[in-house]
Amino acid sequence: MAFTKTTSGATPSSTPGDQPAIRRRRSQWRSSPVLGQIAVILALLLLWELASHHLYNPFWGSRPSMIAERLWELALSGHLWMHTSTTLQEAGAGLLLAAAVGVPVGIGLARAPRLARLLDPIIMGLYGLPRVALAPLFILWFGIGLISKIMMSFTMVLFIFILNVMEGIRTIDQDQLDLMKSMRAGKMYVAWTVLLPAVVPWIMASFRIGVGLALIGAVVGELIGSNRGLGWYVESSGGQLDTTGVFSGLIVLMILAMLANYLIGFIEKRMIKWR
Amino acid sequence: MALMANVNRADRMPMSPTPQPAQSPRAELRDLRISFPLPDMSTLEVISGISMTVAEGEFVAVVGPSGSGKSTILRALCGLLEPSGGSVLVDGKPVSGPPPGVGFMFQKDALLPWRTVAGNIRIGAELGGVPGDRREERVASLIKLLRLDGFENAWPRQLSGGMRQRVSLGRLLAYQPSLMLMDEPFGALDYQTKIAMGKELLSVWEAERRAIIFVTHDIEEAVALADRVLVFSARPARIIADYKVMLPRPRHMRSMRGDPAFTRLTEAIWSDLALPE
Repeated sequence: MAFTKTTSGATPSSTPGDQPAIRRRRSQWRSSPVLGQIAVILALLLLWELASHHLYNPFWGSRPSMIAERLWELALSGHLWMHTSTTLQEAGAGLLLAAAVGVPVGIGLARAPRLARLLDPIIMGLYGLPRVALAPLFILWFGIGLISKIMMSFTMVLFIFILNVMEGIRTIDQDQLDLMKSMRAGKMYVAWTVLLPAVVPWIMASFRIGVGLALIGAVVGELIGSNRGLGWYVESSGGQLDTTGVFSGLIVLMILAMLANYLIGFIEKRMIKWR
Repeated sequence: MALMANVNRADRMPMSPTPQPAQSPRAELRDLRISFPLPDMSTLEVISGISMTVAEGEFVAVVGPSGSGKSTILRALCGLLEPSGGSVLVDGKPVSGPPPGVGFMFQKDALLPWRTVAGNIRIGAELGGVPGDRREERVASLIKLLRLDGFENAWPRQLSGGMRQRVSLGRLLAYQPSLMLMDEPFGALDYQTKIAMGKELLSVWEAERRAIIFVTHDIEEAVALADRVLVFSARPARIIADYKVMLPRPRHMRSMRGDPAFTRLTEAIWSDLALPE
């Protein structure tokens, strides 16, 4: 014998190449960070409260207990809901409209590189423009109602969707597209099975970034000209030197942005199971 | 064990004679020339006059040095690449745009990560014109054939390289092509998995007899699988040899390696390519 066989017991007769059959994601159990987060927030609020008693006059910076009281009053009178829902409608409609326009435009531009190159200076120019500066124009054009604020939110977010979706399409594996082409797949089939699913993560990322920007758009619109909404409330409170009112509006805006972010994270997890 | 079962199934099959060229070959290249423009305004000639035919049900392997344009002829055959000269015919018709009934498989599996195993295979059935009510049946039978049972709903990221290529092969078969273009399909797999996949492909091919053009840089793999082996020169590619592989079918990967005919043929190809011993 030229060699000795030293395998013991069972012979390796199993099929080769199948050993790492399925890599299960290790279920990572981390202690929920929520409790810690709440503790930090409470500690900061407590510091604020103490500072307002001992370090400065609450006329300048208000204090949490006064803000809580004000929010409670606003809630009871129904004004809280009126302002919040107004701002939410403006920002939400602007955000969704931006997605509805931005996603197809982004896909179209990514698939038509010539057109994209032609329009590149315009897109980058508009993207670079501080769009808050458009607010006076939009008030002039669309009045002080919902539409002008929706347009503000829309212009704030639109380019995020266009640019993200274009980038998402660019990252698609050319082999996947060639394969579809070799199997004579139609344009719509490719769009539904390859392009759209590939950009879903990019769309969700756009929503994440877009929530804050849409709120900025709506609030800026309200600051310039309106008769309701959280931005209006902040503006009119400021005009009356009512810092408690200003902070109440700001806090509600913060909470809205946080909740929207959680909502998007939740939807994202549901939609992108394959990652 | 499952592999052994496959071999046994192949054993029971009647020995089929080497396929005779039909009246109209499945695929034909006539004096194909392909060159690419280079940034400095010159051109890079990749293929310089290749003529070849692939008969109905024939398994043709193409070997050659890397960068010799083996993959390029496949891209020309499925209409992804315009030739600079000569003609490309599939089923007797000149190719302009992807022709029907031609399926492609790459070294990369190109699976869609957002589709499950079954979902990826179903793409082949959807595009291959399998009627809606028979698709699930087709997909299920391929999953069984390729021993992917139990992984129907797994995501591609959860699979090993060998399994991913089996899914890719499943998608190709679901498309029901009459000509299968395979570009180093097992090139990225480890040696054992590659051999296993070769067996798998042979058992599928012996059952369905679809014409295959199989590009590889692995000479032994080419001889072990194919009816004919074409040897390409370095760039610009020409055909420097065309061997008929006389090894009997069904082939047995292990015992074949000891067969003098196998050794002679691989040796001949090695020396065609002028590779050092």
